[in-house]
Amino acid sequence: MKKLLKLCVVVAAMAMTLSLFACGEAPQEKKAEPAPAPKAEAPAEEAKTLKAGFVYVSPVGDAGYSYAHDLGRKAVDGLDYVTTAYVESVPEGADSERVIRNMARKGFDVIFTTSFGYMDPTIKVGKEFPDVNFMHCSGFKKSENVSNYFGRIYQSRYLTGLVAGSMTKSNKLGYVAAFPIPEVIRGINAFTIGAREMNPDVEVRVVWTKTWYDPALEKDAAKSLLDAGCDVIAQHQDSPAPQEAAQEAGAYSVGYNSDMSSFAPKAHLTSAIWNWGPAYVKTMEQVKNGTWNGNQSNWWSMADGVVDIAPMGPMVPEDVKAKVNAHKANLAAGQDTIFAGPIKNQKGEVVVAEGTTVPDGDLLGMTWFVEGVVGTTE
Amino acid sequence: MLDFLIPLFAATVQSGTPILYATLGEIMTEKGGVLNLGVEGIMAVAALAAFTTSMYTGSPWLGFMAGGIAGMGMASLHAFVCISCLGNQVVSGLAITILGVGLTNFLGVPYVGLPAPGFNPFDFPLLSQIPIIGEIFFKHDMLVYISFLIPFGFWFFFKRTSLGLHVSATGEMPAAASAAGLKPIRLRYFAVIAGGFLIGLGGAYLSLAYTHLWTNGLSGGRGWIAVALVIFAFWRPGRAVAGAYLFGGVMAFQLRLQALGTNLPSSLLLMLPYILTVLVLILSAARGRRIDAPAALGTNIEPEG
Amino acid sequence: MLKIRKREEPWKWGALVIFLGALLFSLGVSALLLAGQGKDPIEGMIILWQGSFGNLWALEGALLKAIPLFLCSLGVAVAFRMQIWNIGAEGQFALGAIGATWMALSFPDLPGVILMPLMFAMAFILGGLWALIPAVLRLKLRVNEIISTLMLNYIAILLLDYLVFGVWKDPASFGFPMTPEFSAAAIIDGIGSSRVHWGLLFCVIVGIGLWAFMSFTRLGFELKASGEGARVAKYAKIRYGMLVMFVMCLSGGFAGWAGCVETSATLNRLQPSLMVGYGYTAIVVAWLARLEPLNIAFASFLLAALRVGVENLQLELQIPAAFGTIMEGIILLTVLAGQLFILYTLEFKKSRQG
Repeated sequence: MKKLLKLCVVVAAMAMTLSLFACGEAPQEKKAEPAPAPKAEAPAEEAKTLKAGFVYVSPVGDAGYSYAHDLGRKAVDGLDYVTTAYVESVPEGADSERVIRNMARKGFDVIFTTSFGYMDPTIKVGKEFPDVNFMHCSGFKKSENVSNYFGRIYQSRYLTGLVAGSMTKSNKLGYVAAFPIPEVIRGINAFTIGAREMNPDVEVRVVWTKTWYDPALEKDAAKSLLDAGCDVIAQHQDSPAPQEAAQEAGAYSVGYNSDMSSFAPKAHLTSAIWNWGPAYVKTMEQVKNGTWNGNQSNWWSMADGVVDIAPMGPMVPEDVKAKVNAHKANLAAGQDTIFAGPIKNQKGEVVVAEGTTVPDGDLLGMTWFVEGVVGTTE
Repeated sequence: MLDFLIPLFAATVQSGTPILYATLGEIMTEKGGVLNLGVEGIMAVAALAAFTTSMYTGSPWLGFMAGGIAGMGMASLHAFVCISCLGNQVVSGLAITILGVGLTNFLGVPYVGLPAPGFNPFDFPLLSQIPIIGEIFFKHDMLVYISFLIPFGFWFFFKRTSLGLHVSATGEMPAAASAAGLKPIRLRYFAVIAGGFLIGLGGAYLSLAYTHLWTNGLSGGRGWIAVALVIFAFWRPGRAVAGAYLFGGVMAFQLRLQALGTNLPSSLLLMLPYILTVLVLILSAARGRRIDAPAALGTNIEPEG
Repeated sequence: MLKIRKREEPWKWGALVIFLGALLFSLGVSALLLAGQGKDPIEGMIILWQGSFGNLWALEGALLKAIPLFLCSLGVAVAFRMQIWNIGAEGQFALGAIGATWMALSFPDLPGVILMPLMFAMAFILGGLWALIPAVLRLKLRVNEIISTLMLNYIAILLLDYLVFGVWKDPASFGFPMTPEFSAAAIIDGIGSSRVHWGLLFCVIVGIGLWAFMSFTRLGFELKASGEGARVAKYAKIRYGMLVMFVMCLSGGFAGWAGCVETSATLNRLQPSLMVGYGYTAIVVAWLARLEPLNIAFASFLLAALRVGVENLQLELQIPAAFGTIMEGIILLTVLAGQLFILYTLEFKKSRQG
């Protein structure tokens, strides 16, 4: 009978597959052979081509977060001793583990996993492939061959806050934000601190969209802030829709990820932008020279050129520009006093004492808002 | 109070408009007896088509039409599979969504971050001066104003034109319609494709008026909301308007609540539109309103002989 | 002119032939698309094959992906057989994950033999309850289940977000939305030294169980044989209402189990990235497999293999991720269109009107 036949086939297939796995399997290639062909041909010290792999959580065409990483990849691709490849739209979780593992198996020398949710899978795969170097973005775990990295985009946020604080007339700044995770919260805090430095009466209102990417919803969120009286809109979202909303309402805006001025030339003050290229190139150099180390937490800053702000628009007065540039120069020289006390939280309590600074660990796990922010962290 | 409510209602109208177009399009389709779950995919394709057309020709109106035509194209695929090939309507719709979203994301990559001419809000002469009503309804872009007219067009079409009556008849009982000398197959094709046109207009609205850009995920699940709202609307255009605005309104409301500084967790606030839709549906059903689904909805017309 | 005529007997091997034909057609279109992008289509096809079936680890990856898909599809199939359009597998999956997490976080110190069944039980209960809501709404208030299950999907995902961002957040996670890692007792292990976990065995058991239920019990047989709920109930002597509720509970429970397995075995904790759309894909799989458990096993594996293969294409040829989605859509549509030929055939007939 056809049914019985089918059943037998399925059971047989499953049994075969199971047994293949149970009997100690081949796939655990202990040594990932990096590009065996070049190794064989090329003389011992000379140009060994490194393979760099990139895993993205969203499509690179989104002009946002993954796009910024991909620009970094392109910079690396330009190096003559590196070839690159990437996989995009990889959901965090089981899929990412598989993708990362496949890259390792295929002999990639360095694998950049660019989203927080790739953390556990990166560590897991890292254990199985000790000869592959892993760089995980925005996480906190590390191991012998896994280092994590991130950028102090909050420094850029601080600078954009300075601009926004100077330009507002209603003293209300709006922030369209995706998810209440520490990097977003930290950014909002830095923005607020900067804004209040220029204008102590400013308040920052936060609306959560719970999506990284829904342009229409982001625009609506921006509009709700505009209707509530905000006259500068900032965002931690990947589409330029909030910028559009600001321009249509005759307000100002601050962009994110890349220079968003082309979307809202009359409104765009500046943007907090990523610049992964130099950092990625530096990493590859280290790998090439054998000086790359695992177990590092690299929190790159403006001094490393990884974060920056877009050129300020013509509507920003010269004296504001001068102040911002002065602060920027300090940050670029490595002086970061953004989260130096005294800092109060939303309730008005002093949580960072005068003379102390928030340590990196607390910055990375920041889940509270500073005074001046109106909104919840949930 | 008023200066919270008026902008809220105005935002509601805008937020509800793409959903309204799509819902009306789906009503047209379902009145003919065909379920089209591919609304999301159709909106996505239409949004891209509209955007690129507007970009290349410089005319947002051509873009708007292109959106409708793209909608018709995708819908005719669905029509062919369901009507001529007797495919399962539920799955075919899903396939259209999958294909539509995939095609859009694949073809749209070069267009991210580019500008294109679109529709901008303007004050409707005279009518926008009316206190309150004017501010809520008459300070939008042209496509919103058009959307006000379509439900009336629907009413007229289904109640007063013979084509409309024939479509309804096909949706209720294709066999009887056939016996009466009508051609159910052709009528169904019409319903699906005409519906697809409207759905496409909704998608075009997203990239030409709601925002003036194209990126992945522009449709953002609105197509699925439209499918749900058709049921909510009991297949009547008037209620479709109510449903689209209710949904858009609650979404706008919870955003504004956040902007005003509430302490309620945003996840819970975001649930509001969905919960409310179901609640209102339950209440209507509980009050014993008849649910007028077209009797032949979802079934295929077997060929004779 | 071309006319459609019903066959005397359905074409026996039709389903298989059409499926293969659709596959070939879709591959053909994909090859064209590849060529359009400036890539070599033959190379592309080879890479696709290698990525899906080419070696053990590809198979492994496909199996891992197929496991939750299989369970969700079983659930969807059970409901679809009764023409109950359960579009809510995604939400039921989420509730199952929530249930499993609840147990894992509440009783981390229990031994595995108690904790694991507890997790599965709670996953089934919560998933089943989530499906029961639309069932009751349909029975008592004639609310169409398409809309209710759809809305509940959104609500379920937001509920998961709420829990993971709030009360269940891991204090050691630096503020990121994830629960603490499950204790070892709550994690499903790999089989031997492989990556594939015991969830596979669970699938086999559930699949065989369902097949046996549908083949050997009266209720199951009637469910299998007919799509009209009222008729089924008459034969099985159960009230129609009870039948709907039973079927929906089962449907939601299976999806819930899928959520439990994924959370426990692959993520080892609950986080929002759990939701990748298995619930929606399950509808496709269930239907392609004509709602039969055995075929569902094949279909879920094949679809999972396709997705894994497309990833390989991405990596090797830098094809955008959307490519795979297009392929899936085309396969589905072609199979749908081709299904016509199982029951009908085309023939030329002279038109009566001269």
